[in-house]
Amino acid sequence: MTTATEARTASQSSVRAGSVEIDRVTKRYGDQTAVDGVSLTIEPGEFLSLLGPSGCGKTTTLRMIAGFEQPDEGDIRVSGRSVLGLPPYRRDVNTVFQAYALFPHMSVAENVAYGLQQRRTPKSELRERVAEALELVQMRRFADRKPTQLSGGQQQRIALARALVNRPAVLLLDEPLGALDRQLREEMQLELKLLQSRLGITFVFVTHDQGEALSMSDRIAIMRDGRIEQLADADTIYARPVSAYVAAFVGQQNFFRGPVVEGGAAVESPHAVVQGTGAALAGLANGQAAVRPEFVRIEADDAAAPAAPNSVRGTLLGVSHLGETMQYLVRLGEEQSLISRRPTPEAPTLELGQTVRCSWSAESVLLFPADEAAQAGGYVAPPTA
Amino acid sequence: MRKSAGVALAFPAWVWLLVFFVAPVGMVIWFSFGYKPGIFGTHANDVLSFDRYAEAMSPTFFATFQNTLWVGIAGTVICLLVGLPVAYWMAVKAPPSRRGLLVALVMVPFWTNFLVRTIGWQVILAPEGWLSSTLQAVGLIDGPLELLYTRGAVLLGVVYNYLPLMILPLFVAFDRVSGPLREASKDLGAGKWTTFFRVTLPLARPGVVAGVLLVFIPLMGDYITATVLGGAKGNMVGQLVASQFQTAQNWALGSAMAVLLIIVIMATVAVGAGLVWLVTLPFRTRNRLVLGEPEPSAVSKPVEEVAA
Amino acid sequence: MTESTPTVRILASTDAAKVIRRELSRRGFLSAAVAAGATGVLAACSPGGGAQNAPVATGGPLESKLSIYTWGDYDAPDVLEAFTKELGPKITLSSFNSNEELISKLVAAKGTSGFDIVVPTGTFIPQMIENGLLQKFNMELIPNIEHMDPAFLGRAWDPDNEYSICKAWGTTGFVYDKTVITRELKDWNDFIDAAQNEASGKTSVLDDPAELTGIYFWANGIDWTTTDPADLDAAEDFLVNTLAPHVAAFDSYPGGSAIPQGTQVLMQSWNGDARLGILESPDPNRWQWVLGSPATELWMDNWAIPTGAPNPEAAHAFINYVLTPENSLAELDYIGYHTGATGIEQAAADAELPMLDLVFFTPEQIETMHEGEVNEAQERVVEIWNTMKAAAGA
Ligand SMILES: Nc1ncnc2c1ncn2[C@@H]1O[C@H](COP(=O)(O)OP(=O)(O)OP(=O)(O)O)[C@@H](O)[C@H]1O
Ligand SMILES: [Mg+2]
Repeated sequence: MTTATEARTASQSSVRAGSVEIDRVTKRYGDQTAVDGVSLTIEPGEFLSLLGPSGCGKTTTLRMIAGFEQPDEGDIRVSGRSVLGLPPYRRDVNTVFQAYALFPHMSVAENVAYGLQQRRTPKSELRERVAEALELVQMRRFADRKPTQLSGGQQQRIALARALVNRPAVLLLDEPLGALDRQLREEMQLELKLLQSRLGITFVFVTHDQGEALSMSDRIAIMRDGRIEQLADADTIYARPVSAYVAAFVGQQNFFRGPVVEGGAAVESPHAVVQGTGAALAGLANGQAAVRPEFVRIEADDAAAPAAPNSVRGTLLGVSHLGETMQYLVRLGEEQSLISRRPTPEAPTLELGQTVRCSWSAESVLLFPADEAAQAGGYVAPPTA
Repeated sequence: MRKSAGVALAFPAWVWLLVFFVAPVGMVIWFSFGYKPGIFGTHANDVLSFDRYAEAMSPTFFATFQNTLWVGIAGTVICLLVGLPVAYWMAVKAPPSRRGLLVALVMVPFWTNFLVRTIGWQVILAPEGWLSSTLQAVGLIDGPLELLYTRGAVLLGVVYNYLPLMILPLFVAFDRVSGPLREASKDLGAGKWTTFFRVTLPLARPGVVAGVLLVFIPLMGDYITATVLGGAKGNMVGQLVASQFQTAQNWALGSAMAVLLIIVIMATVAVGAGLVWLVTLPFRTRNRLVLGEPEPSAVSKPVEEVAA
Repeated sequence: MTESTPTVRILASTDAAKVIRRELSRRGFLSAAVAAGATGVLAACSPGGGAQNAPVATGGPLESKLSIYTWGDYDAPDVLEAFTKELGPKITLSSFNSNEELISKLVAAKGTSGFDIVVPTGTFIPQMIENGLLQKFNMELIPNIEHMDPAFLGRAWDPDNEYSICKAWGTTGFVYDKTVITRELKDWNDFIDAAQNEASGKTSVLDDPAELTGIYFWANGIDWTTTDPADLDAAEDFLVNTLAPHVAAFDSYPGGSAIPQGTQVLMQSWNGDARLGILESPDPNRWQWVLGSPATELWMDNWAIPTGAPNPEAAHAFINYVLTPENSLAELDYIGYHTGATGIEQAAADAELPMLDLVFFTPEQIETMHEGEVNEAQERVVEIWNTMKAAAGA
């Protein structure tokens, strides 16, 4: 396998092993379009996450890279070479499946050895590499057990070792941590990230957990209805979402909707005028403004304070302790409430039912065009750009 | 508490087993040590001996037995060879929405009485039956079809009557080998055949065993299929046993033959299992990998090498 | 009206359906005619209890029901329907496949089987009488016995017809394909010769032990109920070493498919079965029936009333009813066997029923037919049968 890869890399000098290029790929199931003209370039050694709600086409995209599905349109190149028509076993990629898919009739070591056996690796080398791979995931001790005798997290590691032992150019992971409990999941996230940066293998990581994506990825592709809505690093996605959809999907947002005022720099909702820093909505009649809970300050209401932009009065409905932060739920009117989150040490002590004032800076406000569908359904879905 | 509840749950099964399996077999074994007391008696057990076994092991018994074993083994092997791909296709390739229908179709032969459907084949295969005339008209054969009353006809009937018993457990077994396992195998570089032989088939093994036993055991006792379609070539031990019970009214000798039949069926199954074990041994040895306890030094080995 | 005429649900071609119905019916299903008695079972437990307070037929009013336990498809449905229409009792039919099955059911029920009429084969009747399974007729209620030919009454097993009256009888011979065997075959010796020559590998014999040893005994002038070990050894040697290699099938009903489908060239068969097979053949002229000679068998099934029958009046009325000449003819037409009625040969000829030479035989021919027997050679005959089958299948 290594020689083949080397030969290929040598002959195509312009191409870097481990890159993945998805070029205007479309996949339909019957009259449903699961993936709709997606283009995406993944750098060698990059950790890229595909993030999106259920049914948005993440798994389908991954399966096309792995070779389990064939695109209806477009091209997919791995390490610079088109893999269209190649069966999974002829592609230099490996997959970690959501439910691990460990072979129950083989021992852990035999599971890990399976890929190497297919490549006719000599037995001595095979033993060595299996042992190494198991050590890599700290499972060497369990080599001769059956997968059914392992916990979920241990099985997950074996699945990882089984894929990594083949030294693929690209590793595909489909919600590999989905079945683990929260604490284990967080531990594994860290381990996985460390492993990836140590090995330098390209990771394509599917998840619908935004926290997971934010904490691990070099870049995140936010998917929606078979398309990529935004492709950027975590900071950009968090701070400068291209649409209300992305803004709503990554982290939490307080949305305000209403006519555009101040020459496109503010939205006047029934409860507050929300003002941003630029005239992003110039020329539009209606708009929506978003503010993250962590940017919303909260204090006991000072009745004397004048009404001002980016400031709103309401009734405190609930307080919850989230560990590092306190979360406040404030009711503004019949249909609108607001969430504020303060670091626990700085959190004010307030009483339920008390009138409070919330405020935020103009820098923290994101402005987006109005979205009729969202207003009708109450769901915060952004317009398609 | 829980244990006794489990025992209670299994109670009907035990009673069933006792009444319908252990008791009859026990009676047959008991009779086999007796003798036939006179022309109008069927069995007596006041003097016990192994004499009936000596009588049963006659050249006739062995000649018939050879024929039975041949039909049993050949029939089972053909059912397996035909049933395996069909069941695989049904469980893996066919659209899931059609599977219920396919299972129902597999059962079609069972909608009709066993004897009736076998005699149906007799009519079809006759030298002047419609299959023969059709084949002659199309020019596939020169003379009349000479298939009825040959071993070929016996095997055809066996496959027809027993294939569902092979396909159903295989289907269930293949159906339970989940798609991701096969995908994982392909993902790891295995082709279709390797995936089938190293993942799908080993995991479907209980189904294969069930199918083989479900076909082989009743087939060894069945003589209707073989006699109706094989004529003189379809002479089976089951008929020999039946002739002792029904016609000769010698239950002692019939029982001894039945016991021998059971023993030989078990021995054949054991030999078959042993053969499969032997044949697959080299493959299993090749794929086995035991790493054993890690050496202490191995733990601290630098990890970077793997990525190289 | 019959409440449950035994029918077979058939998902086969119509061709097959005919065959299958006959395979499961008495008209072809006679293999047990000379099979062993179930006296062992009989000796173990004899009927009692329920039979004691069973009604007796005195000529009173008929009951509303009648239950007949007989061979499958062995009575003309028209006759059964007409009986119910004219006399009232509703008929329920059940069927058995062998005399042993019939006897074991009667023994187990100890007179409470609920059957009013049964149809055992003659050779089994003495043991059934001896073990109290049958009751005597009230002959006053069966005046139509006068229509029976005395030749078929007073058989050895029931000399005064106190318990049984002939329902149908038949005999054994063979059928051959004249297009293949161009010479004329006349007797069992010809049969044996043809089987080893023109018909080798295309010969079938009845799948019944006594019928096989019968071929040898009849051909060689030996009583076919012989218990002489030397005779039996000779029969075995002949069947296993001489005949078996040429036998393609052991088929008790060649009329079912072998004759219509032209499967074999030479077939030992019962007369009624041969007749139906030839009638159903697309080319009847191709087949020649030969009555076994110089000797052959005669079997007879008989009407009888089991002990404890709940509806004895209706049972007597029914037996009386089927003995009328019209009904006897209807039965003959349906089952293809002689019913034993006087003058039925003429009636059948007048009704222009086909191939009556396979139903009726001359007194001289009947002279050559002999009944079988359940005797101590039974086991040996079964052994010979099995050995021959093993030899033919090798
Ligand atoms: N084999 C299939 N047949 C028909 N439709 C399919 C098939 N696989 C996926 N789809 C459809 O394609 C769309 C995308 O599915 P996909 O599995 O890629 O979603 P996903 O983003 O992975 O969702 P999840 O987070 O729930 O796993 C869905 O609407 C799904 O119903
Ligand atoms: Mg998915």
